[in-house]
Amino acid sequence: MLTLLLKGALATLILAIVGIGGGTVLGVGLAGLSFGRAWPLRFLYRLYVFVTRGTPVLVLALLVFYGLPAMNFALGPYVAGCIVLVIYGSAFFAEVFRGGVLAIPAAQMESGRSLGLPPGAFFRKIIAPIAFRYALPPYVNVCVMMVKASSVLSIISVWELTLAAREIIERTLQVFTVLGTAALLYFLICFAVDRLGRRAERHLMRRGFVGERA
Amino acid sequence: MSWWRWFSVYGPTYLDGLAATGVIAAAAAVCAVIWGALLLLVRLELGRAGARAVDAYVQVFRNTPVLLWIYLIYFAFPLVGLTWPAVVCGGLALMLQNGAYISEIFRGSVKAIDLVQFDAARSIGLSSWATFRKVVLPQVLVHSLPALGNQIILLLKDTSLLSAISVAELTMNAKLLTEQTGAAYEAFVIVAVLYLFLVAILELGVKWARHAVSWRPPHHAL
Repeated sequence: MLTLLLKGALATLILAIVGIGGGTVLGVGLAGLSFGRAWPLRFLYRLYVFVTRGTPVLVLALLVFYGLPAMNFALGPYVAGCIVLVIYGSAFFAEVFRGGVLAIPAAQMESGRSLGLPPGAFFRKIIAPIAFRYALPPYVNVCVMMVKASSVLSIISVWELTLAAREIIERTLQVFTVLGTAALLYFLICFAVDRLGRRAERHLMRRGFVGERA
Repeated sequence: MSWWRWFSVYGPTYLDGLAATGVIAAAAAVCAVIWGALLLLVRLELGRAGARAVDAYVQVFRNTPVLLWIYLIYFAFPLVGLTWPAVVCGGLALMLQNGAYISEIFRGSVKAIDLVQFDAARSIGLSSWATFRKVVLPQVLVHSLPALGNQIILLLKDTSLLSAISVAELTMNAKLLTEQTGAAYEAFVIVAVLYLFLVAILELGVKWARHAVSWRPPHHAL
């Protein structure tokens, strides 16, 4: 039983990593959209974030799960689950990155602009490092949220820790042991993500990175 | 099928689900706020051991998905002889999870209370229960209204998970309709819109609360 749960935990971890990776990439793009100069871009961003964050994960998952075959993309529950996690996470990651950029002190923005760098270098050398430093704590929070959201995918029959636990319970009825172990495994994963994030924060502060904790 | 006919055939199912979701969310929210206040009381009154216990409780619920607790309570309670209906089991899980987050929100608001007030309360002879009831709780509740509103929005979205234990709420009804009519995803689009409608109302409430909480004296009074 324990090996099955551990395999489930591994599946959860992989799902979470896919969701976090894809969500981060899409989130960066969306955050860039939110600072667009034309108002349709900003409006699109606000609409996307409102819809994605306002619908429950389960409804999003059911939509994609039932909607993909309807559009002749019968790719199976696992791909649907990954798509859902990436979309759901991108909205939260975009807000985190947007908050990180907005948290850059105005003085540093102005002194950065006075250097007269081209836009690409300006983003790479000024905005990205400082915003990254401010966005790290909520970023880690969203990562933990993604791990917990992966458990909802069990309802659309994506095989991961929660589904593994449910299968074992249906066979053996050892509810407390199985769900307790599953809870412990989730706790270890999320706790590890949290600690990794805190260690990254401390590392950034030690190197004399820009930005100070309030 | 014309709109009117569609609405008369399927409308009641959606409205039933919407009402059920609203009632479950409201009840769970009230219970979660009460539970969060109780956790705050434990943190404030039971010394270091109490604070550590509440910290452990919060860590457990921050790092585990709520679906696991819904399953645990729903499957385990009959084994120990408690045959409560599925709604109550799910609501209990939601209350425990969100109570943890709400107690953290309250903890942040307690820090905003000036320490002077505790001295003043002691000097007029208020017991610790009386200071909690008359000094801490009112200020904490008002101060944390915006964050509480956000948490309640999260709670509303989590009620959709109760469909996993067959509670007749909005998502469950959408699943049933999908199976009945064979229309693949339309039901879920409508349900998503309904959830967005509820969330939009609650977000307006949060905006109002944020405005009401940050009271400033009117300029003509100064």
